[in-house]
Amino acid sequence: MSELLVRSLEASTVFLLAALGELVNQRSGILNVGLEGLMLFGGTAAFLMAQSTGSYAAGLAGGIAVGSLLGWVHGLFSVRLRGDQVVSGMGLWILSFGLTTYLGSPRTGPLGLPRFPALLGLSPFVYFGILLVVAVWFVLSRTSLGLAIRSVGESPAAAAASGVNVAGIRYLCVVFGGALAGLAGAAYTLSYNPVWNYNFLMGWGFVSLALVFFSMWNPWVLLGGSVLFGAMWQLSLSPEYVLPGVLSRYVWRTVPFAVTIAILTVISTPWFRTRWGLAKPQALGVPYGD
Amino acid sequence: MKIGVYRLSVERAEAPSPTRVALGALLAVALALLLASVLFWTPESGPWAAYRIAFGYAFVNPSGLGATVHRAVYLLLCTLAFLIPLRGGLWNIGLPGQVYAGALAAFAVPFWAGARELSSGTAGGVALVSMPLAAALAGAALGALVGLLRAKLAVNEILVTMMLNSVMFWLVSDFIKEGGAFMSATAEGESFTLPEVFRPPLPLGLPPSAFLGLAAAVVVDFVFSRAAAGYRVRTFGLNPHAARYAGIDPVRVSLWVFVLGGAFSGLAGYHYFAAVPGLYKIPTNYGYYGDLSFYGIICALIARGSALGAVPMALLFAGLSVGGRFAQGALRLPFGVDYAILGLLMTTFVLSHLVDRYRVVWQRAAPAPTSAPPRPEGAR
Repeated sequence: MSELLVRSLEASTVFLLAALGELVNQRSGILNVGLEGLMLFGGTAAFLMAQSTGSYAAGLAGGIAVGSLLGWVHGLFSVRLRGDQVVSGMGLWILSFGLTTYLGSPRTGPLGLPRFPALLGLSPFVYFGILLVVAVWFVLSRTSLGLAIRSVGESPAAAAASGVNVAGIRYLCVVFGGALAGLAGAAYTLSYNPVWNYNFLMGWGFVSLALVFFSMWNPWVLLGGSVLFGAMWQLSLSPEYVLPGVLSRYVWRTVPFAVTIAILTVISTPWFRTRWGLAKPQALGVPYGD
Repeated sequence: MKIGVYRLSVERAEAPSPTRVALGALLAVALALLLASVLFWTPESGPWAAYRIAFGYAFVNPSGLGATVHRAVYLLLCTLAFLIPLRGGLWNIGLPGQVYAGALAAFAVPFWAGARELSSGTAGGVALVSMPLAAALAGAALGALVGLLRAKLAVNEILVTMMLNSVMFWLVSDFIKEGGAFMSATAEGESFTLPEVFRPPLPLGLPPSAFLGLAAAVVVDFVFSRAAAGYRVRTFGLNPHAARYAGIDPVRVSLWVFVLGGAFSGLAGYHYFAAVPGLYKIPTNYGYYGDLSFYGIICALIARGSALGAVPMALLFAGLSVGGRFAQGALRLPFGVDYAILGLLMTTFVLSHLVDRYRVVWQRAAPAPTSAPPRPEGAR
């Protein structure tokens, strides 16, 4: 059971890292529906770098760098060129899905390095994720940078009129979001499940994206949602802990996705939307500029 | 930027001309093929040799050509499944899930008819109608769920369709693996093989779903360009608020575009798993066929929403994926060339948006004054 708890926390951390970056992204008004693609590319880059060099540090650096680069590309299209953010995000996802399959396939299989070092029995990513929640909450709600991020996400015109560099803030957030998505992918391929397989995430990025909506753009609620989904994900892999012998293991694998749809439905009801609508950044997904 | 006496600038083009749009689409495909040539490059043979092998197999070799045409029909059906909601401003990326739903529903018909025990023909023509119908209905039902959630509660359709893709992926496994209802007698993690009586006839070497797909492309283009229903969907896609003021019911539009889209995906599932010679089962690697459906997204986007415009795209991309796989084996290239091309096509499509949205303006610059103008008399 303790193993299940540990694995659940590690799974939660992958969701948390990706979703936290996307939360900052969205608070600045930029939606990246290609989050899964950034995670796929970041995870694959980390896996290949770590395997080639034998160094986890190099793998992490590779994952973060590739995630940041793809985040910047999304920013270029969304912020500078004021393109359709959904088109750009979908483009990044399908690009990553296609290219990582090609690039990673020759290395299909286990990482082949000693297990990622643990800290007090847990992956260090778990502690880092919690610290990051505190940091993101503090920056967003207690600093002038956070005020600038929130203002460009609510009303970029008003923010610009008060002297905020809208494009600069949005670039910063979208690169930060990309870096965390890359890190989340790296946490998956280096620590949580160090085996490369084509399309290894199979929906983790989209669940992370949904978590941002569930969280009402609040880092603390996001932390709770990530823990819940991490546990649910792990239980769907090991249903014998809850209901041994009931339903096939394949049916259990559908549970996190079905629950995601159910929660998305609940938070979209008029009753919930009155609160959710207030929390949603007003300029989310809307290009800004002349 | 100034070059000699000319000034070069990039400006936004608010309403791109059809020529510019077509040019953008062609450039997207050409650039993707150029970039993909890097993947095909090997020290022994240059990229053009790989293209020669790929296109030769896909469009000249009789066996390859058959595979290309069947795949093109599959991609065309998936294209229609994505294109119809897209014209209404909605993204149906649940193509794989709807394909799986269609395949399961199609195989449910012979399953209930006792196909596993059948050795000779007793099914008759009813099964040949009921199988594609069941597939289309299953896909439509899945689409209806997405459309209803979108229409009634504004639930994000991208997230819902992606979640349904995963749900359906695992449900197919449940049906065909480890004692599942549709598992083959050999227990190899695939479905039972369709008895001959359930296989559709192949006039001109093609199953009826191929002709249905082509006819549907004509009808879809006609409806979007000439019919009131198409006008309503396009208006809703361009501006939902304006559409509402014009009396267009957003619930009906969202629901019906997803129902129709889902039905075409379901039919695509029937086509590939139950009507293409050489398969007639849900294979172990069914996920690969689900992934292929994403080419439908690219076809629809590059054809800029034209169903008939997507036909040559579907044929080209089907040839690329079939031939790419063949070249991959022939030249010992890494697995996933067809996936890489998919990714590159999507990237170049996004880039082609720039061709639509921006234009290069090349103007003769006003000559700079060569000397100071004469000072008026009396000026100090």
